[in-house]
Amino acid sequence: MSQTIIAKSLVKSFSQNKLALNDVSLEVQKGEVLVIMGPSGSGKSTLIRTFNGLERIDKGELNILGLRLNSFSNDEIIKKIRKRVGMVFQQFNLFPHLTVLSNITLAPIQVQNKDKKHAEKSAYELLVQMGIEEHAFKYPKQLSGGEQQRVAIARALALNPEIMLFDEPTSALDPERVNEVLDAIKSLAKKGMTMIIVTHEIEFAKEAADRVLFMDEGRVVEITTPEIFFTNAKNERSRRFLNQLSK
Amino acid sequence: MRFTKSYIIQYLFLLIIILFLILIINNVHFNLIRTGLGFDFAWLFRPASFSLAEHILPYSPSNSFAWALLVGWTNSLRVIFVALIFSTIIGISAGILGKSHNYILKFISRLYILIIRQTPLLLQLLFWYFVGFLSIRNPVNIIVPIINISNQGINIFGYILTPEFSSLIIGLSVFTGAYIAEIVRGGLNSVPKGQWEAYKSLGISDSIGLKDIIIPQALPAILPGLTSQYLNLAKNSTLAIAVGYADIYAVSDTVINQTGKSIEGFILLLIGFLFINLIISNIMEFFNRNILKNKA
Amino acid sequence: MKIITKDIKFLLFKARKIGINNKTDLFITFILLVGVFATLTNFLNWIFFHANWEVVSRNLNLYIIGTYPKALSWRPFLWISIIILLSFTTLLKKLNYIKKRFIYICWLLIIPLGIYLLAGGINIIPISTNFWGGLSLTLILTFISIIIALPIGILLALGRQSNLLIIKKITSLYIDCMRSVPLIAILFFGQLLTPLLLPVGMEINRVIRAIFSFSIFVSAYISEDIRGGLQSVPQNQIEAAKVLGLNKYQINKFIVLPQALIIAIPALTNQAIGLLQNTSLMAILGLVELLGISRSILANPQFIGSHLEVYVWLALIYWLVCTIIALLAKKIERHFSKSLNFQGDL
Ligand SMILES: Nc1ncnc2c1ncn2[C@@H]1O[C@H](COP(=O)(O)OP(=O)(O)OP(=O)(O)O)[C@@H](O)[C@H]1O
Ligand SMILES: [Mg+2]
Repeated sequence: MSQTIIAKSLVKSFSQNKLALNDVSLEVQKGEVLVIMGPSGSGKSTLIRTFNGLERIDKGELNILGLRLNSFSNDEIIKKIRKRVGMVFQQFNLFPHLTVLSNITLAPIQVQNKDKKHAEKSAYELLVQMGIEEHAFKYPKQLSGGEQQRVAIARALALNPEIMLFDEPTSALDPERVNEVLDAIKSLAKKGMTMIIVTHEIEFAKEAADRVLFMDEGRVVEITTPEIFFTNAKNERSRRFLNQLSK
Repeated sequence: MRFTKSYIIQYLFLLIIILFLILIINNVHFNLIRTGLGFDFAWLFRPASFSLAEHILPYSPSNSFAWALLVGWTNSLRVIFVALIFSTIIGISAGILGKSHNYILKFISRLYILIIRQTPLLLQLLFWYFVGFLSIRNPVNIIVPIINISNQGINIFGYILTPEFSSLIIGLSVFTGAYIAEIVRGGLNSVPKGQWEAYKSLGISDSIGLKDIIIPQALPAILPGLTSQYLNLAKNSTLAIAVGYADIYAVSDTVINQTGKSIEGFILLLIGFLFINLIISNIMEFFNRNILKNKA
Repeated sequence: MKIITKDIKFLLFKARKIGINNKTDLFITFILLVGVFATLTNFLNWIFFHANWEVVSRNLNLYIIGTYPKALSWRPFLWISIIILLSFTTLLKKLNYIKKRFIYICWLLIIPLGIYLLAGGINIIPISTNFWGGLSLTLILTFISIIIALPIGILLALGRQSNLLIIKKITSLYIDCMRSVPLIAILFFGQLLTPLLLPVGMEINRVIRAIFSFSIFVSAYISEDIRGGLQSVPQNQIEAAKVLGLNKYQINKFIVLPQALIIAIPALTNQAIGLLQNTSLMAILGLVELLGISRSILANPQFIGSHLEVYVWLALIYWLVCTIIALLAKKIERHFSKSLNFQGDL
C-alpha cells in the first residue's frame, strides 16, 4: 500500500452554524508533496492539524501510516501518530528557554530515549543540513525568523518522521528570508519525504508540488497537478483566488 | 484506559489526605483528653471578665466571651474601613505623582515607595506608635482649635482618636498606600503612550485627561491588584496587637489565654476572616464587572 | 548681551528637561525643594548631633547574633560573613559559565551550612535554638522557610491546574483558606496547636514551629504566583511540545514549568522579601529575631526613650537586606529571561 494518508469524509466544526471541514476526502501517496491553498478561514490549518490529532474530527475517518483515527480514537493512537508525523508552525513555536541544540534534542532524548551524545550528533548533522550549525548554542530569540524556522524544521526532522506537515511556514518571515526556508523544504522533497504544505508561494508550488489542493469554506474545491492548477484551473473560485494572489 | 488511571490517582490522593487528617484528629483527640481541655463552644456564653480599652459597642467585663469577640470584630472593621479609604487616597496620589513630569515630585513618590516597601510593617507600626505619638512632649496644633495631636492621640473637633487607633490607621495606610501606588503606576504604564499623546494633542488638560481618558483604561489592570491589597490590609490589621489596640486578633488572643480553647478560637477567627475576604472580594468584583460592562 | 540670552535659553532648556514648563511648575518645584531640603537637614542634624547612638553601638553583637554564647559567636558571624561575601561576588563580578555553576552551588550550601554552624552537632558544640537570635535568626528563618515553601508551592500550583477534579478542589480549598487568614494567626496557632497535632510525647521547638508555620503560609502565596506564571506560558508552546510526542508530565517538566518559573521570578522575589519582613512578627510571639531582640534592648532602663535611634537602625538593616535580595533576584532574572522572548528587555 503506497498511500500514507487516506482521509474519508472528514467533518469538523467549531461552532454550530459553520463547518470548518465539510466532507473532505483525499489520499496522499508515499513521497508525494501536496500543497494546500485557499482563502483565509477556508479550513487549511484545521485540515492538516487533524493529521496529527491536534484537532479531533467530528465525523469521517483518517488512516495515517496505517493507523486509524476517528472521532472515538484514544490518546494512545494519537501519540503513536505524532511520533511518526512532524509538524512546523507558522510562528515557529521554538522553546525560548532552551538553546537551539536543546530544542532539537529534547524529543529524541525524552520521547525516543536516545542517549544524549547520539542525539546531539544527529542534531548537529541536521543543523548542517539546514545551514545553521553556527547557531547551535544560541537561544531562539537571538536568531532571525528564517533561521528560527529552519531550527523548527530540524526539530521536527530529529524524530525521523515519515510525514512532514507545514502550516504556512513562511508567512511570518520577511520577504528576503522566505527563500532560505523554502530551499530547505525543497531539499527535503528531493530526498523523497512525504510532505503536506499550506502555503501561498506560487513559484514554490509550481516547482516542488506534485499536486495542489484548493480549499474553500471547508470543502475541497479542486485537487490537480500544479501545471493544470496554475495555467487553467477548472473552477471559477480557484481562478478568482489565483487572480487575487498574483496581484 | 486513561480514564481509570486518573481516577486511581485521585482516589489515592484523597485516601492519603483522609488518612493524614484521621491521624491528626486522632492526635488532637488524645492531646485534648490528656490536657483535659475537650472541644466545645459552651464557654462562649460565660462572662469574659477582662476589660477592653476601646470599644464602639457597649462593653463591660461581665459581658460574655461571645460579646467580647463581637466587640473585637467591630474594632477591626473600624480600622479596616478607615485605613482602606486613606490608603486608597495615598496610593492613588503617589501613583499618579510617580508619573508626573516634575522630577522632584517623581523622586518623592519613588522614595516613599522604596522606603516603605523594603521595611517591615510591624516596625513601621511601632515607629508611629512609640515615636509618632507616645514621645510627643509638646502637643502639636495643626489648625489651632480643630486638630490637635499629642501623646493622648488625635483630637478632631473634640472627638478623640486614641494613639493606638491613630498609629494603626497611619501605619496601615502609609504601608498599604505604597503598594497601591506601585499598582497604580503599573496600571498607568499599561495605557499605551499614544493615548497620553492623543489627549494632549486635543488640548485636554492633564487632570481631565487622567480622569476621563487614562484612568478608565488603566482600571482593568489596577483593580485585581487593588483587591489583593485590600485583602492584605484586612489581614495586616491584626498587627494591632503590637500597639495594644483591641482588634479581633488581640481579643481572640486574650480569650484563648483565659479559656485555653485554642482550636475553637482558631476556627472562629478563620470563619470571620473568610467572611471578610468574601465581602471585600465581592464588592471589588462588583466594581470590576460594572467597569467592564461600561467599557463594552 | 547675546551671550546672556543664550545662557538663559540654555537654563530654560535644562529646566524643561527636568519637567519645569511654566511659572506654576517653578513655584511648586521651589516649595518642594525647600521642603525636601528642610526635612533632610533636620534629619541629618538629628543623626549627627542629637541622636544617641550608644543604644546601637553598645549592642551590635545582640542585633546580629542575639544571645548566642559569646565564646562561640564566631559561628553565626562566620555564616553571615559568608552570605555577605557571596552576595557581593554574585552582584559585582561578571561571571563565566563555570564560576556561575560554582556560585549557584555555594548558594545551595548556605542553608545547610547555616544550620550546622548555628545548631552545631558533629565536631562542634550543639547550641539550643533558645539561644539563636538577631539577624542570624531572621535570615535562617527566611531561608529555610522559602526553600521548603517553594516545592510545596509548585505542587499546589500544578494541583490547582490539574484536570483531576478531586485534586483540584482540595488544593484550591487549602490555598484559599491559607490566603484568607492573617499570618500572625497562623504563627500563633502554629506555636499553640502543633503540640496538639503531634503524637503524645513528641515535641518540637519554637523555631521549628515558626518555620513550619511560615512555610505552609507562604507556600499558598507562592503557588498563586506560579499559577500566574503557568497561565502566561503561551498555548502554542504546549502544542509544539505535543507535536513532538512529549507526554503531559514531560511537557510540564521541560516546557511549561521552567518558563512559568522564570516569569514568576519577580513575584517570587516579592514573596521572599515579604517573608523576611514578616519574620519580625515572631517578635510578638517571643522569638528574639532582629525586631524581638531590639524590643528587649529597648526594655532595658538604660536605653529608655531611644526608640527612634533603634527603629532607624532596624529600618536600615531591613532595607539593606531586602534591597540585596531584590538585586540578587534581578540578576538571576536577567540571566534567565535573556532567553524568553516575551519577558525582559535584554
Ligand atoms: N480553535 C478554534 N475555535 C473556533 N473556531 C476555529 C478554531 N480554529 C479555527 N476555527 C474556525 O474554523 C474555520 C477554519 O479555520 P482555519 O484556521 O482552518 O482556516 P485557514 O484556512 O487556516 O485560514 P488562514 O489562512 O487564515 O490561516 C474558520 O472559520 C475559523 O474561524
Ligand atoms: Mg491557518
